[in-house]
Amino acid sequence: MPTDTPLAPGNRRAWTNGVLAALTGIFALMAGLFLANLWGRPSRPANPLVDEAFLDTAPWRQSYADLARAKEDLSDFDCYACHEKNEPPPIRYDADLNIIIPEEHETIKMGHGSHQRNNHCFNCHNESNLLVLHTRDGRELSFAESSVLCGSCHGPTYGDWEAGAHGRISGYWDRSRGPAHRLDCVNCHNPHAPRIPSRTPAPPPSPLRGPRTDPSREPTH
Amino acid sequence: MATPPPVPSDKTSDRALSRRSFLRSTAALSGLTALAASLSPLRELDDFTSTEQFLQKYYKELTPEEMTRVLARIEKEVERQYGIRPHVRDLRPMDGVEFVYCLNLTRCIGCRKCVHACVAENNLSRDPEIQYIRVLKLPHGSLDVEKAEHKYTADQVPEKGFFYLPVQCQQCRNPACVKVCPVHATWQESDGITVIDYDWCIGCRYCEAACPYWARRFNFAKPGLPAERINPDMSYLGNRPRKLGVMEKCHFCIQRTRAGRYPACLEVCPVGARKFGNILDPNSEVSYILREKRVFIQLKEEMGTSPRFFYYFDK
Repeated sequence: MPTDTPLAPGNRRAWTNGVLAALTGIFALMAGLFLANLWGRPSRPANPLVDEAFLDTAPWRQSYADLARAKEDLSDFDCYACHEKNEPPPIRYDADLNIIIPEEHETIKMGHGSHQRNNHCFNCHNESNLLVLHTRDGRELSFAESSVLCGSCHGPTYGDWEAGAHGRISGYWDRSRGPAHRLDCVNCHNPHAPRIPSRTPAPPPSPLRGPRTDPSREPTH
Repeated sequence: MATPPPVPSDKTSDRALSRRSFLRSTAALSGLTALAASLSPLRELDDFTSTEQFLQKYYKELTPEEMTRVLARIEKEVERQYGIRPHVRDLRPMDGVEFVYCLNLTRCIGCRKCVHACVAENNLSRDPEIQYIRVLKLPHGSLDVEKAEHKYTADQVPEKGFFYLPVQCQQCRNPACVKVCPVHATWQESDGITVIDYDWCIGCRYCEAACPYWARRFNFAKPGLPAERINPDMSYLGNRPRKLGVMEKCHFCIQRTRAGRYPACLEVCPVGARKFGNILDPNSEVSYILREKRVFIQLKEEMGTSPRFFYYFDK
């Protein structure tokens, strides 16, 4: 049997008491920290609320009918404020047969179709009466009836639109409870450049553990 | 045999602490600490289940008077938690109505507006984030959802060479999630909507595992819902605020559609890719689409779930 520690009994008691007191202190501290939940829940920045612009249900564009209904300024449609009656405006093309938009109409960007066959103003506007539109078969239509004009070329899409399968809708699916609000072609499509432009998407779902800071760690699949 | 040497005694002083009594008191102290720590989540419980809710009967067994009391309780609870007096209703399915959703994949541009309109309409948790709609980005010429990405961060959409497939609850005719629920907290109603009773759900997440569309969401934490963005038009089976530990999912905006209105995701869609209506009405848009258009899939058709959510193309 090895002999026990050479410390005197008194010293040994003091040493033991010191260690015990220190250990008790450490345990109490840990218990305090634990209850204060210092590391129990890692803090992370709150998810930002989505921009309310992404919740907007209003159409992108206003049709002539919308403007007339809202009694807004219709001076843009008053062609003969500048043009002269009985004098068809001239149309010029560059060498590639792209139409040259005059300065007065610089807001118009032509892009109707990927070809150049439909860049002629008077395919739709009536050159002898600029206040109306006309179809290829000679029907005259007011600006408020522009959807019919679109339908004179885009028949299948027009049929879908009439049946409710193309275009936006809001309000009531149950027509006995309330009206459904339908939109015209020009509420979404710019008639001069009807392709719907690309747009910025709303933010993607946030990862559970806070925003990813390193873009190279984007999952690739 | 030698007799063992005498054990040194600590009994010389009453105040001395023996190793044994130290270990005993430390063990007792740490045990108490651990107990206190394990109970500490209770401090965060500010919405104890009320006795009323605890004793509440199963949804289908509630009499109209009991339902009135339940709705009043929910209104009171929402007001206490968020400071907003909501209008909670219990809308029942209409006769002769079966809802169907159609989504035009030619038109969808992947802008995710539907995702966030749904979050706003249905009082979904913002933090942690819960979203019912997942917009998948897929390369052209494939419908392999393994190749899909839903966290795309493009600057502009649509991206060239990709199409977008929004996925949400498909409101199956043969729903796997309903079959696995051990407590019948989720069921299919006569208008085709599969609903969840949040007061009956036990949070076992079997339905989440059973759903082939990843459509069900679980409240792992208390929903973080900013009071200023609460939608006060609520319904019992729909968008009333959920609590910790229950499942939720898309319910075709039950608070809107059973009142005759279109769902929120449809109204916000900027390209009109989403169509909704009553399939039993031959004049509805969805009847026209299923009759006339190239409706090509029910997603994961081979699962036999027979969704009421149809994807179609224009051309």
